[in-house]
Parts: sequence; structure tokens; C-alpha cells
Amino acid sequence: MSSFVIEASGLSKSFGPTRALAGVDLSVRTGESLAIMGASGSGKTTLLHCLAGITRPDAGTVGFRSGTGQVEITGLSERECSRLRREAFGFVFQQGLLIPELTAVENVALALMLNGMPRGRAEQHGRGWLAALGLAGMEDRRIGQLSGGQAQRVAIARAQVTGASVVFADEPTGALDSTTSSEVMQALLDSTTGQGRTLVLVTHDASVATRCSRIVDMRDGRIVGERVGAAEVAA
Amino acid sequence: MIAGVGWLLARPGTTGATATALPVVAFAIMTALLLTVIGGAQSFWTWTDDIAVTYQALAVIALVLLVAPLASLGGAAARLSARRRDDRLATLRLLGATPEAVSALAVIESVVLATLGALVGVVAYFALVPPLALIPFRGEALGVEGVLLGWPALIAVPVGVSLLAAVSAVVGLRLVVISPLGVRTRQDAPKLHWLRLLVGVVVVVLAVGIVAVLRVAASAVLILAMLGLAFGAALAVQNLVGPWVIRLVARAQVRTARTPAKLLAARTVLESPKAAWRQVSGVAMTSFMAVFAGSGVAVLNAFGEAPDLESRLLLDDIRTGILITVIGSFLMVACSVGVNQAAAILDRRDLYESLAKLGMPTSTMDAARRRSVMSPLRITAFGAALTAAVVMLPLTGVTLIVAPLSLAVIAAVLAGGIGVVWLGLAATRPLLGRAGRVEA
Ligand SMILES: Nc1ncnc2c1ncn2[C@@H]1O[C@H](COP(=O)(O)OP(=O)(O)OP(=O)(O)O)[C@@H](O)[C@H]1O
Ligand SMILES: [Mg+2]
Repeated sequence: MSSFVIEASGLSKSFGPTRALAGVDLSVRTGESLAIMGASGSGKTTLLHCLAGITRPDAGTVGFRSGTGQVEITGLSERECSRLRREAFGFVFQQGLLIPELTAVENVALALMLNGMPRGRAEQHGRGWLAALGLAGMEDRRIGQLSGGQAQRVAIARAQVTGASVVFADEPTGALDSTTSSEVMQALLDSTTGQGRTLVLVTHDASVATRCSRIVDMRDGRIVGERVGAAEVAA
Repeated sequence: MIAGVGWLLARPGTTGATATALPVVAFAIMTALLLTVIGGAQSFWTWTDDIAVTYQALAVIALVLLVAPLASLGGAAARLSARRRDDRLATLRLLGATPEAVSALAVIESVVLATLGALVGVVAYFALVPPLALIPFRGEALGVEGVLLGWPALIAVPVGVSLLAAVSAVVGLRLVVISPLGVRTRQDAPKLHWLRLLVGVVVVVLAVGIVAVLRVAASAVLILAMLGLAFGAALAVQNLVGPWVIRLVARAQVRTARTPAKLLAARTVLESPKAAWRQVSGVAMTSFMAVFAGSGVAVLNAFGEAPDLESRLLLDDIRTGILITVIGSFLMVACSVGVNQAAAILDRRDLYESLAKLGMPTSTMDAARRRSVMSPLRITAFGAALTAAVVMLPLTGVTLIVAPLSLAVIAAVLAGGIGVVWLGLAATRPLLGRAGRVEA
């Protein structure tokens, strides 16, 4: 529990006159589930993007530690960042943002194919993940033929299938009702921390956040508080 | 109340500038080209001597070949301006606006953009008149009076363009009006019947028949009408068969795709074979043009050195006509590919951005996009060339079409048409780069 997978220090980022991040230090422990909470506009998404190498901060550093060593994400080129995201990270967004023309299993398999896995094997893995997430029998449906909760599970499968060591989720349950939200959250936890991976999640929903092991609160681009969540107490 | 909400939703959003400018530009180009073509052709009808009929026959063929891609460019522009609003209009329906209110809003908006574009197009046409007047036919320049259109045409063309936009908008919006959720979820699975193929074959056979009996036609006017009919029908039938064949090929490609780009491209085409066809349908035209130009040039060559001045001038003029028609069709194809691609990228901005976040390289997205255009393009280009050759056969015979010179011209024009589409793709690549850029 004490080793860190991501360490960020002194992160700041401005968009024009808007100070989205104003000096954030945050360490993400290997295998934990970390929830980032805060009012709209407090900088949650910006922080997540900086941690994941999507947005480059104006100042500060982000380090990523994996089995093969340590890299400084903030020092990588655009291409290297893109490759890191593809190979080491997984993402779940609020709207799923799956490719509508592809079937469920193709959406999942695509993540593996991008890393060079042959299609047949990639789809086999994809089917396995979809079944594990309760979507057996829906593999060949197109995204438009799935419900919001089902589509979100496909997105979770896509984020997991590459064996990503860290999964970043930005309001993954934001568009779902409370029952579906709870089920999707369970699926997300099972497939990440349940498998020894790390989950970093942005949410507005306190009931979602409390199921994580740790919660940080943001306000005006700063972290203003930290709490322990249900998962930690239980563990 | 609805009107107030309607305005809020219909107002250009963040993507407004590009989304509004594109259809306006497309309508402007379309209007300018249409006026230019009509202007050029009208001067042929001021001649009254014997040989004038030959010129008019050739002009009719050129017009048929050019008007079809013009209509398809106009359709693309109209669809673009209508589609930009799909989402907002579906939202309006969800909010409870009546179907009539939604249709009216969409149609008005499309017509306003089209009229704006058409007016710009008229101005552009006037700018084109001086160079157009310099083109020589029958040994002398056409002259400004020859190509300058009268008021009736200058009013009729913009009005026609606006009408086309209105019709396109109505057709395109039927879906939204029928089902508020239809457009939002994009669920309709495309169905294309094999009967299309049958109808296609029948029409081509009829066109060949018409061309075959051309010689026995009683009057010059009848010959012109028959030629126009044969070519128009053969071209129209491409619209019927093209999507069907494209879908067949895409289905096979989905099964065998090995790379992400190939899979994405094949699925994109399969999602809407008609849309894939529309993107490249202009090339069906350049392929027709290629065969036409090829056999035309071969005919000229067979004539060798013309004995008298009049035939020498005619041969020169046919060359000029072929060149103008080919260039005109290239221009229109380039425009419609540009318009369609820009629209496609704007439509999927969110998706491209999210794919970039996942770490999909822009090069993969671009490869998928290129494939989804180039693969239907190959099918279309060669399929149309084949159809054109079949329809030309009774007129020229096999020897002329397969003459080395003819084949060389056909190959060159086909390559030109494909190259122009490729340029259209390359020109819109920066837009993709911007859509897929995640770094703020
Ligand atoms: N690309 C951008 N350009 C300009 N300003 C931006 C951009 N991204 C974020 N901002 C601004 O930075 C601030 C923080 O934004 P951020 O998206 O991180 O907030 P958030 O906490 O995720 O909010 P929400 O809960 O609404 O998603 C906001 O004031 C926002 O307007
Ligand atoms: Mg956010």
C-alpha cells in the first residue's frame, strides 16, 4: 500500500485568465481507488488529464512508476504520451464515447489491436471481458443498441482489456440512474482494484465516492481535504 | 416559448463558424460553376449554320455530364447545413416542438444559407466572365456578350439553388420528424435490396439500345434528346447500384480486416453505404468523362489531318470542350469531397477527441478516414468507367475505346479524378488534427 504509482507535485495549469490548477500535490498509491470530488469548475477534469498525460501542466511534474521503471510523464513528447496512454492507462468517460459503427466486442478489441495484437486474439480477449462484466450475448450489438449502463460497461471493458495498470474515469456514472450507477461502479471497482490495479475517478456523486478507498476534495484548483472511503475501512 | 427555445438551439454554437461557412461556400461554388457552364453553352445556341448542330450535340453531352455532379455538390451542401442541426433539432422534438415547427425551422435555415451562398456565387460568376470570354471556339473568342447571361438565368439559378436546399432539408429531416430519438441514437440499419442491381442492368441495356438507334433518329433535336437521355440514365443508375456494391464489398472487408484502421474504415462504410457513395459519386462522373474523352480523342486522332478549315476548327474545339468538361468535373469533385469530409470530421469531433485521449494516434484515425473514402472510390471509378464504355460501344465500336491513345487518356483522367479526391482528403487532414488534439 505504500508504493506510489503516480506522483504529482506542484501542478498548475491556466487556460487564459482561468487558473484551473493552482499548485496540486497528489500521490496515487498502487492498487487504491482514489475519488476526486469538488464543485463544477474546481479543476477535477484538468487534474485527471494532467495525471494521465493528456494535458501538459504549466508547472509541476507527474511521475509514473511501473514494473519496468519510472518515467516522468511531464517530460515525454506528445507521441510518447500517446503511447503511454495506449499501453499503460485505461479511460472511461461520462458518455462512454465508444465508436458507434463498431460492435461492442470490436470496440473492446480495438484497444488491443492498437497495441499490435492480432484481431482474432483481441476479440477473444474482448469477449472474455464483456462476459465478466455481465454482457455475454451482447458482444455483436452495435453501441446504439445498448442501454447507457451497458455501454458504460463496454467502455470499462475497453479500459481494462489492455491490462492497464491505472484506470482513469471522469464521471463514469454521471449519466446513469442510481441503481445502474451502483452496478457500473461495482463493475469498475471489481475490474480494477479487485485485480490489483489502480483507479482514479472524478465524481460529483458522494455515494460513488464513498465506495473508493480514498477521497480528495478540490476547490479553486487546489486540494482542500482528504478523507478515507468505505473501501479502505473494509480492507 | 417554442420559438424562443428554437432560436437558442438553432443559434450557431461553438462549431458554428465553420459549420455555417462550409455550406455557404459550397453553395457559392455550385452557383458560380452552374452559371459559368450555362453561360458557356448558351453561346453555341446563337449559331444557326449546319455545323452548329454538331456543337450543340456535344454541348448537351457536356452539360449532362456537368449538371449531375453539380446537383450532387448542391445536395452535399444542403445535407451538410441540415445535418449540422440534426442534434439540436432532435432535442427540440424531445422538448415538445411540433414536427411542423421543427421542419420549418430547418428548412428556413438551409434556405437562408443557400441563398447567401448563391448570391456570393453570382458575384464569383461575374468575376469568371472575362477569362471565360477568352476561350476560343470556331477560331475566335466567345466574347463577353456570348457568355454573359441575361436576367432570367441570373435570377432562376439562385432561386433553383435555394429550392434544392429546401428539398434536401425536408428529405434529410424526415427522420428527425418521424422519431425524435432516431437521429440521436443513429440506430437505423441500412437496407439495400439486390433489386437495385437488376434495375441498374436493365437501365444500362436500355441506354445502349438508345445509343445504338441514334443514327436512324429523324431530327437533330431528337438525337440531342436521346443522347442526353442515354447518358443521364446511365449516370442516374450509378446512384442506385453504387451503394449496393459498396456495401457488399465493405461487408467482406469487415470480416477480413486485420488492423484498427482497416476495421474502422470498413465499419464506417457499412454504417452508411449511401453516404460513402455520395462522397465519391462525383468520380462516377469523371470516369464517364474519362471514357468519353478517351474515345473522343481517339476519334480525333483517326481523322488525322483535317482537309478543310471548318473540320480542323471543329476538331480543335472538341479538344477544348473535353478539356473544359474534365477540369470542371474535377473542380466539383474536389469541392464535394472537401465539404463532405469537413462535415464528417465536425460531426465526430467528440469521438475523435476521446480516441486521442485513449492514445489512438492521429495517423490511425486519418488512415481509417482515408480508407473509408478511397475504397468506395476505387469501386466507383472503375465501375462507372465500365458502364460508360458499354454505353459508348454502339457509337464508337470496340477498336476506338481500346485504342492505345484512348486508353491512355482514360487512365490519365481516372488518375486525375482519384488524385483530386486524395487532395480533398489531404486538405481536410488539419481539421482532423485539430479535432483529435487533446492538448489544450
Ligand atoms: N480547454 C479549456 N479552455 C479554457 N478553459 C478551460 C478548459 N478546460 C477547463 N477550463 C476551465 O478550467 C476550470 C477547471 O475546469 P475543469 O474541467 O477541470 O473543472 P471540473 O472540476 O472538471 O468541472 P466539472 O465538474 O463541471 O466537470 C474551469 O473554470 C474551466 O472553465
Ligand atoms: Mg469535469
